[in-house]
Amino acid sequence: MKKSAPERIDNGFVISARDIVKKFYIGEPNELEILHGMSFNVPKGQFVSIVGQSGSGKSTLMNIIGALDRPTSGIYYLDGLDVSQSNDKELSAIRNKQIGFVFQTFNLISRTSALKNVELPMMYAGLSAKERRDRAKELLEIVEMSDRSAHMPNELSGGQKQRIAIARAMANDPSIILADEPTGALDSKTGRLVMDLFHKLHREQGKTIVLITHNNELAAETDRIITIADGNIISDSDETVTQLPPIMQRHAQKKQSEQAPAQGEFVPETIAAADGA
Amino acid sequence: MGIFENVLLAVAGIKANRMRSLLTMLGIIIGISSVITINTLSNILTAKIEGIYDSFGGISLVGFRLTRKDDAVRERVSDEDRFSAVIRDDIAERFSDKVDYISFSSGYIDCTTTSHHNMYDVTLYGVNKHYIKEYMFDIGAGRFITDSDCEKGASVCVISDRQAKKLFGSVHGALGKTLSVTQKGDGRFAMILDFTVVGVYEYKVDAVTSMMLNAVGNDIESWNTDVYIPYTKMNRLLDKEDFSNYINVHIIPGLDIDGVATEIKDYLNNTYYRKNDSYNIRYWTQEQEMSMFDEILGTISGVIAVVAGISLLVGGIGVMNIMLVSVTERTREIGVRKALGAPNSAIRIQFIVESIIICTIGGAIGILLGIGVGNIAGIIVGRTASPDLSIIILSFGFSMAIGMFFGYYPANKAAKLDPIESLRYE
Repeated sequence: MKKSAPERIDNGFVISARDIVKKFYIGEPNELEILHGMSFNVPKGQFVSIVGQSGSGKSTLMNIIGALDRPTSGIYYLDGLDVSQSNDKELSAIRNKQIGFVFQTFNLISRTSALKNVELPMMYAGLSAKERRDRAKELLEIVEMSDRSAHMPNELSGGQKQRIAIARAMANDPSIILADEPTGALDSKTGRLVMDLFHKLHREQGKTIVLITHNNELAAETDRIITIADGNIISDSDETVTQLPPIMQRHAQKKQSEQAPAQGEFVPETIAAADGA
Repeated sequence: MGIFENVLLAVAGIKANRMRSLLTMLGIIIGISSVITINTLSNILTAKIEGIYDSFGGISLVGFRLTRKDDAVRERVSDEDRFSAVIRDDIAERFSDKVDYISFSSGYIDCTTTSHHNMYDVTLYGVNKHYIKEYMFDIGAGRFITDSDCEKGASVCVISDRQAKKLFGSVHGALGKTLSVTQKGDGRFAMILDFTVVGVYEYKVDAVTSMMLNAVGNDIESWNTDVYIPYTKMNRLLDKEDFSNYINVHIIPGLDIDGVATEIKDYLNNTYYRKNDSYNIRYWTQEQEMSMFDEILGTISGVIAVVAGISLLVGGIGVMNIMLVSVTERTREIGVRKALGAPNSAIRIQFIVESIIICTIGGAIGILLGIGVGNIAGIIVGRTASPDLSIIILSFGFSMAIGMFFGYYPANKAAKLDPIESLRYE
């Protein structure tokens, strides 16, 4: 069956997650449900932190938000596009253009200069060498690392590496920057500098940033805190945005009924629950 | 992501692991260099052999020999069976538009000569004036045997430069001197013969050529004892009519050698040997003799090709092994690349390109090494040559193909890695 072009719905939310369930199959009869149906929205330009202890489902959620993985069921709209049913190739393109990853361990490609590292996502996006170089230099300027552009990763300090990684994350001007414990491997002083950089990007460039952390102090600096535990959202500091806008509700309902007709009634319930809370 | 970037990436990776990459390439290097070496050597030897045959009167020289028939009734060769002056003249006249010259030797006598109380072996050969063209001799001083010497049956001789130096002190000093020889034998019929030295020939065979000729049964070392006298004189000494066991016919260059040789052979057999109960004529061309060298070369090439093939196979497996190690080592990098949006195809191409680059560099080193080794051997033989361009291109292409073939499996493994698992890999 040929896949039709995904339908794009513009609603002001960068992330719209509806009833995200993730199960892992460990042998045929055993299945392990990690995420039990999470729903939340992130509007454009928000700096949101997702907080949870290890084992809470944080990493699994991050993998789904980052389009590294697909939910078992539920719908995930990224910048108005349903990515929950995308194939591997489409997910690659989504990761490339829509998501900027910042990892705890920086994950710069070794033996490759800072500049080339920043160019990498643009290389996969098919930009010309000149476009890549110009844009990469611009980005290194933003993260104040221009003087280190020719350095190899092993010649850089942790804080410097993370700034290069942030520049790389912004290379293709993604819809969201997804930062997984970005200060986890840094001392408090350099960690502070990295957080300040995120604030600057958020403030000056209007970037949507999703910060995944177990550090409540860092989370407190952000616009909004979503706390998860045992695969459920247990608190959200900004619940007004949890509800799907009407146009997306209809789309989600239609899709859900196509997928699993028995669950057709889930939308009113969810809305009711959200209203009642 | 373009191929160029992949190439740069691969080269950087190979540079970072120089020793490992070199060891990985070793199988390819050995395989390709043996192919190139044998090709270079075979070109050198072919050129060398052609050179040798050229100095033997070239490929236009055809030897006609007396051959015993299958249903022969006699063992002994009688004078009637041999090539007579009549036959020689008949060929020269009848085939004058096809035959350049005829050379022959009418027989030999083993003798000794004494100088300063040392005894030396000499062998007298009765020859005609064309004999010199057949062998790799130059006249260093004086002249060779002439028609007029032969007509007169003159007591003149042409000796080698070595003999001239040993017996008379110098090449030019030998001219006009008298060479006195004693026929070997039981002594009762020993003859003492005197010849005037009219010419000195230069013995100009290098060690390798001599070795190669010895390998096919030509004892070059014995030649420097040869002394040439007019064939008519030899006939008189041996007390026989003008007969010889063979003649060498030099066909005019450019003609179909086999065609002319067959024509002459058929003519001789029909005209002179139809009634002969035991003998007829056959011919040998230089080409037939050269094919023996080709056969030897072919056998050696075949053996080396098998060795090269095995080496390339093992080398290819080595490359596959190291690529698998490389994929495992770089699992995390693969995960990061995938997180940054690299599609599976980009990862696959990256590793295939790396494998191809390793094999291509190995192939290039092998080609250079092969040319080097081949020509070092060539210097010993006294002739250098380059391998065939087609073999170089083929070797290069084959190295790339090995890289692609043995790189595909590891590259595909890398491409199929799960990004989440890879990012978690320590």
